[in-house]
Order: sequence, then structure tokens, then C-alpha cells
Amino acid sequence: MADPRLARSRPQQQQQQPTAAPPPPPPPPPMEQQFGIDPSTDASPQQGQQGDAGDDAFKLKFCTVCASNQNRSMEAHLQLARAHLPTISFGTGTLVRLPGPTVHQPNVYHFNSTTYQAIHTELATQNTALYTQNGLLNMLGRNLSIKGFPERFQDWVPGKPRLEHAEDQGFAGTEAGVVDVIITCEERCFDHVLDDLHNKGGKLNRPVHVINVDIRDNHEEAAVGGQAIRDLGLTLNEAATKEREVHGDGGWERGSGPARTGFDEKVPDLIAAWQERWPNMPALWSLAWF
Amino acid sequence: MSSSAQSLGQLEAARSLALGESRYYPTIIPGVLPIIAYNGQGGSIDIWRWGADFLAETFASPAWPLDEKAKSALAALPILRDYLLEVQDSTVIKSAVQAAASIYPLVYRHIIAEPNDTQTWQVMLAIKTNILRRMDGAPPGVRICCVKFVQQVVLVQSPGPIADPRRPEQNDISLTLVPRDHRLIPYANQEAEASGLLDRLLDIVHGDHSDALLITATLNTLGMLIQRRPIVSNKILNSLFNFNPLKLANAPMTSKNKVLMKSIERTTRALLVNVMRRNPDGPFTRQIQQYLDRMHRMRIDVLDESNRKRPAPVEQTDGTDPAKRQRLGPQTVPTPPTPPIPALPAGPVSYRELFTLSTDANTALFDVKMFQDPEQLLRIVVPVLHSIDEAKLTNAINIIRSRYLTLSKAMPRAPPSGAAGATADDDEEYEPDFGPIEDAEQIINKLDSAPPVTTLPERIPDARLAPYKLPEAPPLTEQEVVRYGDMAVRRVVEILASVDEAPTKAKATKAGFNRLAASNYDRDSWVTVLCRLATRASAGLEDPDAGIKSEYGGEVQKGGSLVLSDSIRDAIYNYIIRDWKRRIDIAISWLTEEWYNGQILAQATSNGSMKNGVNGHTPSSLAVNGTYKKSVLRLLDGILAYIEGTDKVLVRFISEIPGLDRDILQRMKKMAEDPERIDLAVMVLKYLYMFRPPVRTICVDVLEDMWRTNDRAKPSAEKILKIWRPEVLREGEEGGDVKAA
Repeated sequence: MADPRLARSRPQQQQQQPTAAPPPPPPPPPMEQQFGIDPSTDASPQQGQQGDAGDDAFKLKFCTVCASNQNRSMEAHLQLARAHLPTISFGTGTLVRLPGPTVHQPNVYHFNSTTYQAIHTELATQNTALYTQNGLLNMLGRNLSIKGFPERFQDWVPGKPRLEHAEDQGFAGTEAGVVDVIITCEERCFDHVLDDLHNKGGKLNRPVHVINVDIRDNHEEAAVGGQAIRDLGLTLNEAATKEREVHGDGGWERGSGPARTGFDEKVPDLIAAWQERWPNMPALWSLAWF
Repeated sequence: MSSSAQSLGQLEAARSLALGESRYYPTIIPGVLPIIAYNGQGGSIDIWRWGADFLAETFASPAWPLDEKAKSALAALPILRDYLLEVQDSTVIKSAVQAAASIYPLVYRHIIAEPNDTQTWQVMLAIKTNILRRMDGAPPGVRICCVKFVQQVVLVQSPGPIADPRRPEQNDISLTLVPRDHRLIPYANQEAEASGLLDRLLDIVHGDHSDALLITATLNTLGMLIQRRPIVSNKILNSLFNFNPLKLANAPMTSKNKVLMKSIERTTRALLVNVMRRNPDGPFTRQIQQYLDRMHRMRIDVLDESNRKRPAPVEQTDGTDPAKRQRLGPQTVPTPPTPPIPALPAGPVSYRELFTLSTDANTALFDVKMFQDPEQLLRIVVPVLHSIDEAKLTNAINIIRSRYLTLSKAMPRAPPSGAAGATADDDEEYEPDFGPIEDAEQIINKLDSAPPVTTLPERIPDARLAPYKLPEAPPLTEQEVVRYGDMAVRRVVEILASVDEAPTKAKATKAGFNRLAASNYDRDSWVTVLCRLATRASAGLEDPDAGIKSEYGGEVQKGGSLVLSDSIRDAIYNYIIRDWKRRIDIAISWLTEEWYNGQILAQATSNGSMKNGVNGHTPSSLAVNGTYKKSVLRLLDGILAYIEGTDKVLVRFISEIPGLDRDILQRMKKMAEDPERIDLAVMVLKYLYMFRPPVRTICVDVLEDMWRTNDRAKPSAEKILKIWRPEVLREGEEGGDVKAA
């Protein structure tokens, strides 16, 4: 996992053995030629992979955010990834906090370094019965099948390639380390995200819809919330795909009325409509910048 | 089409190569550009889309250095221009504008260094003009990208701070780097253009709020300008202070408008909180805090009002109010029409009554505990369970359910509104710190995940329960009373100290007339509580008849409370003295309370003595106000020990305490015995003379006294006496002459 090139080549090998497999550190000048004319990096593996993923090329990219990147954001991550939408996920807390033996003794871990596997192992040795009963082990087991470790939103550098995450569920499409939609799971995280995006300074000049969906932090609500987010994600993705189709064959001039409204300006309407379907999860939204 | 698919594949391969190793960008870009360039109507829109996306991504990427980017940017410019001028596809336009926003500063720096590269600048200008033209007419999705481009232009064309003049490459690309005599980008024009564009951005914010996309997009671009261009932050913030995020409250409260309004408000708040947090000591902190408070109240007004105005029938528009709907969700399972339900007894209902359907009193009172042998119970229960009629059971469940529903409806709506209030409070509190709050959150989360078994008891809090009485505690001895009293006082003072350390931002806001003296648990309210405890709590008990009344056995308590108020006074005194410069305001409010209480007491006793001067005992007002004076002198003596000639805070203290007399002002004379503090003493007296006319005579008397007795104070005293009481000087001169002679 340490070498991003290795990580990247892995899924391709599953598809087709003689893939590009770029020679390890090649000298720059020859590379220029290689990519220009090299037929071995054919489009077909890419296409095939995405065909497996669900549908055609264009997809919105999502990012789910909760406090500890354990329960709500991970459930949503899983749901979106299962819907074949590119997804990454984060937590906005200072530390990863999980319930401990008592209310006042939470289990606390560092972001970005402690793996779900490590947490799972530790809790299992600590008190298997307790953590099985309250669902933590089950949750961690699910999480470690989604990605390696909880990530902190504030430490994320948008635009930095994420090739080392190639094994994560929902990876396809998130290689470049940017997303189109951030979905937070509680208002505090929404505030943290907006605040942190101000701190990051919008250097990428890339718009991102930040949407909050209020979900209470327990397993049941997280499951329901995950479905709601999946619904929202699919709705948004559909609208965005349509925008590309409508304008696709140079037909901006030809469209009229609703057909002329693009994806971005539809988002508030889509959220309002979604809100009526999911009235128990009050929504907030803002257009922010990477 | 297949050829375009094939090129796309190659392009994608090149892209993933660069993503894997960013140092390939400079070599990859020259290869990619010819493929993605606009090549007439026959070209493939897919390739252009890919190209625009690629350029936006590439020039935004943090993975490779600016210098390298700048070189490649020049080559990419013509392509961007062609995209913007020729391609009619909003996806392409959007990405092209994003790329242009990232490239603009790079080209700008290039032009600063190369004032003769007219050609490049012309291309950049064409792009800029094109984008600015789209600002008003383009579809919103494109407009937001234009807004971001404009933000970059404003950023680049406003003067920025110089981080390190020796290393210009470290600096932010800004107008500051532009030489005054640059022929392509004249300084003044650039600055004027930036200012005009900033106005356009701010106009958008104040524009039509149904276009929340544009508003939030613009608000979210302003943060970086405030942060990186202090020179314009003033203008932006002042504009924001006039901004009303709840404009939409006047529009019909549809589900969409509600989301929009909340979103705009929240975005504004996030922006201002961020500004405040980055610079907590900035000049705007107070104003921002006030603005946020105002907005908070307005939001509550608007949302509450809308709740009040909408009665039940308009259910759909209520979608964003979770608390109300959530509870109803699972309960509105359709209940089939039921036979008449045995009515519940009026008033609070116990569990048993809730679940009892049978009207037969004997059955209802049947106690299962009668069965001693579990085996026997089993033999009965199992067949009974088998024989239950399903319809009957369903019916019974429905009856209970509907009873439960009516009960829970009849209950006051406290739980939901309480929850709403809690979240609102939460929002306010959470801002300054992270750690402990997250712990609290964790606890809440834990509680949330607990099985919801306790909902019923919450609903029927006053069901019949056996009364429980705490066993009475043994009576306290006098010493214990005093000790516990002291402990309580000490604890309150500790609270003061801890509140002190917390950021005093909130203190800056004045709540106005609606405020109660001690409603928000900050330092000031605790001070008020303490002062009033010290002064008023035992007022009236301190009459000198205490000894006479002792036969009724009331003395212990009175003695206790007397001691208590004195120990509170001691505590306040110590608290002030420990950091008297910063706590002088506390001293003033304490003394004001003392004085006020003295006045009230004096009034009461004089009334009392007129009505029933039975004992013939009328404490004079002087005696009553004794506590005030005693406290002033004590505090003044305490402070004087530390005060230095430069501590003007003394002027404030003396001038703000409510009562002055000769004894107090004599302390100034004493202070002036230290030559370094003469000026301060004179300053105090002069100030009092000017602004507290009733004590003028005393001031001059004291000054005169000083002049007579303190040689070193003579020159300063003389200056003022010359104006106020010249006759003394003349007299003194004569006396001096005599002495000299």
C-alpha cells in the first residue's frame, strides 16, 4: 500500500493481465512518448471496469462526513459505494471516539493512523461480550471491509491524488482526490466542514455542494440515514447525468424551460423534494469551494 | 466516435500516470494539449469535456509546484480561450472557467515579470472579458464558477501583505508585486477594477435570495478574501453586517424556501465565525458577535412564528420540523375502527390502568403473585396463550395504542420543544472549543443508542407513586453553619475565577433592556449574585437590637448570616485585590450595591421609625451607610498599597463609586506622600472637581491641605489652586515670605 503505483495496478490486473503497469520510476522524457502512442493502455479495461461499476462514464463523486468516521459516515459510504457511486469518507472530530465500558471512559484513537482492524482487535481483547452486544465489533468489521482507517476531514488535502486508497470501496472515480458533493451527518459537522473549507482557502476553485442530513448517532438511525443518503446521492447523480445529456450534443441552445436548468441550480429543489420524502432528517445545504 | 473513445482512453492513461507521479505533469501536458484543443465543429464534445476537466484539475492540483504550473499555463491559455469562445456546452464552460481561475494568478505573475509579453496578456484578457460577460446572463451553474474567477481577480489585483521582501517568490501573487510603471497592467487601473468587481460580488449577496446557489457560493468565496486581503476585509465585513440572511422569511414558507433560508443563514454564520476564530482579537470581533446574536434571535423569531402560524392542516410544508414529525411517524399506523373503549379514569394514569381493559374489578385486581409454584403457572398460561383469539388481541392492542396516543397527545409538548431548544443552545455553545464538548456529545450518542425503554415513564411523570421522604438531616451546629457557608462562598468565588479565564467575548455584547441582572452565568452575573448576597440577604437583620432579641433563640441564625455576608465581602475583597487592575469594574459594582443597599435600609428605617418607633431606636443613615464607607476605605487602602503613578484606573474607580466624602478623598492626600504618585492624586482631584460638582469643595479642601503639608506636591497643587482657590495661594505666599524673612 505504501507505493501508490502498486496500489493502482492491482485492480487492473484483475481485469486484464498485460495492463499498462507503468515501469517503476521511468525517466520522464521517454514517458512522454509512451503515453501519447502506447496502445497497450487501451481504453477497454477502463471502460470494462466502469461497466462493472454500474453504468456509463459520468458520475458525481461523493464524500460522507460524521464525527468519528465510524458509524454514520461509514454506513453512508457503504450505501453509496454499493450504488456504484464514487465515495470517500471522513470524520471532523479531533479524535476517533467510541463508547467504552462506561459513559465516561470512551475509547479514543487517532485519525489517519489507527486502522479499523487495530481497533477491532483491541476492543475484542478488551471485552468481547460488551462490544459484541453494543454492536461495535460488528460495525468495525463492516468498516474494515470498506477502507483501511478513519480519516480526518481537516487533514484532507483536496486535489491530492488518492491512489493509495485503491482498495477502498467506492474508490473508482475518486483517484484525483476531489468530490462534487459532501454529505455531513450532523449540523456540527456541517459547520466544521464549512469552517475548514474557509481555512483551506478555496485554492482549487472547484465548487462543491455541502449538504447536511441530520442523523442521530446510533446503529439503527445510521442504517436509515444511509438509505436516505443513498437516495439523495442517486437523485443528484441522475440530475447531473441528465444535464450532460441535455447539453451533450451541442444542444444548449435547443433546450428550453426545465431542460435548460443545469444540475447546480437544481440542487435546492432536489433537496427540498428529498426532504419531503425524508422529513425526519432536516437538511441544510451550501455551495462551498475546494 | 471510436477514434474519440480511443483518444479518451489514451488521455485517461496519461492522466492516471500524472496522478500517480505529479512530476510527469510538465511532460504530459504538451502531449495532451493538441488532442484536447478545440478543432472546429467537427470535434468531439467528449474530448473537450475531458480536456476542460483535465485543465481544471491539473492547474488546481496541489501536487506540483507553482513555478512548473506557470510554464505550462501559458501553453494552455489559447485552448481555454477557444473553449470559452467557441464551445456551447455548459460542462465545458464550467471547467474552463475553473481552470481560468486557477491560471489567472500564474499568468499575472508572468506578466509582472515580463511586461512585454503582450500576446499572452491579450489572450488572458480575452478569457477574462468573456467570463465577466457571463457573470450576469449565464446559467447559475456557470455563474458560480464566474464568481470564483472574479474572486481570484479581486485577490490578485488588490494589494496584499508582503511576507518577506527578500524572497519575492514566497509572496502571494498580488498587486503589491506590480511595479507602478508597468505598461500592461497599470497599478491604478488594476486596483480600480478589483474594487469594482468586489462591489459586484457584494451586490450578489444582497440580491435575490431565491437564488441561494449564487448567494452561498459568493459568501463562501468571501472568507478567503477577508483572510488574505486585510485591505478589503473592512469593506466586506461592513457589507455583511447589513446583510439579512432571513430575507426569504417574507416569501411563502415552502419546504424549499425554508431549506434555502436556513442554508443561507448557516453559511453566513460559518463565514463570520471563521473570521472571528482566525482573529479573535480583531477589531470586528465585537460587531460579529453582535450580528450573530441578532441573527440567532431573528431566526428563532422567524421559525417560531412560522410554527405558530401554521396549524395542523398544512402538514407538508412542515417537513423541516423534525421533532414534531418524528414522534408521530411510528404511531400513525392505521388503526381499524374499534368498539367503544373503556374510558380511562381522569387525571394521571398508572401503567396498570393504561393496560387494563376488563371492566370486571376482580379480574383487574388479580395478582399473579398468588401462584407460588411456577410449574402451575406454566400449566395455565400456555393453554391460555394457545386459545387467544387473534382478532381480539389485535383489537386490545389497538385500544391500548390509541389510549397511549391520546395520552401522549394530551401531555404538554415539552419533550420535542425541549429538544429543539437544546440543539439551538448547543449551536451557540459549541463554537469556541472542541474537546470537552465532544465528550458530552459522546455521552449523548451513547444515551441515544440505549434502547428506548423509558419513553412511557417520561410521558406520565405524575402517575400515582408512593410519596418518598428523605430522612431529615441532623441539625447543624453554629460552627458547621459558618463553615459550610464559607465553603459555599469560596466555591462561588472559584466559579468567578474560572469564568474569568474563559474568553470574555460574550461580555462585549450588551443585551439591552431585556436583560435580567444575572441570567447568563457569566462573570458579571456571578458578581451581581455575590454582591447582592453580601449586601441584601442579611439586610435588616443587622440591627443593633440583636442582643435584646437573643432570648427568642434567633441569634444563632442571625449571627450566621452576619458572618456569612461578611465572609462574602471578604471573599469579594480578596478576589478584587488579587487582580485589582482588571477587576476594578467588579469593585465598582460591588460598592454600588453596598451603597444602594445602604440607601434602601436608611429609607426603610426612617419609615419604620416614623410608623412605629417603639424601641425608640433609629439607626442614623450614617450608621447604615457605614458598611459602604467601610468597604470603600478598605478597598482603597488595599489598592493604594499597590498603585503606581501611571495607574489611571484609579481615576475611574474614584469617579465611578457612588458616594464620596472627606475621608475617602483624604486618602488622595496620603497617596501623594509618595512623590511618584502626586500627579495621579492631583489628576483624581481635578477630575472629580470637573465631573462631580457636589464634592468640589472637598476636593479643593484636600488639595489645599496637600499644598500646605506636602512640599513636593506643592508645584502641581499650585497650578490648580491658582484657578480654584487663588486666595489660598496669596495667603501662602505671604506666609512663605514671612518664613523666608
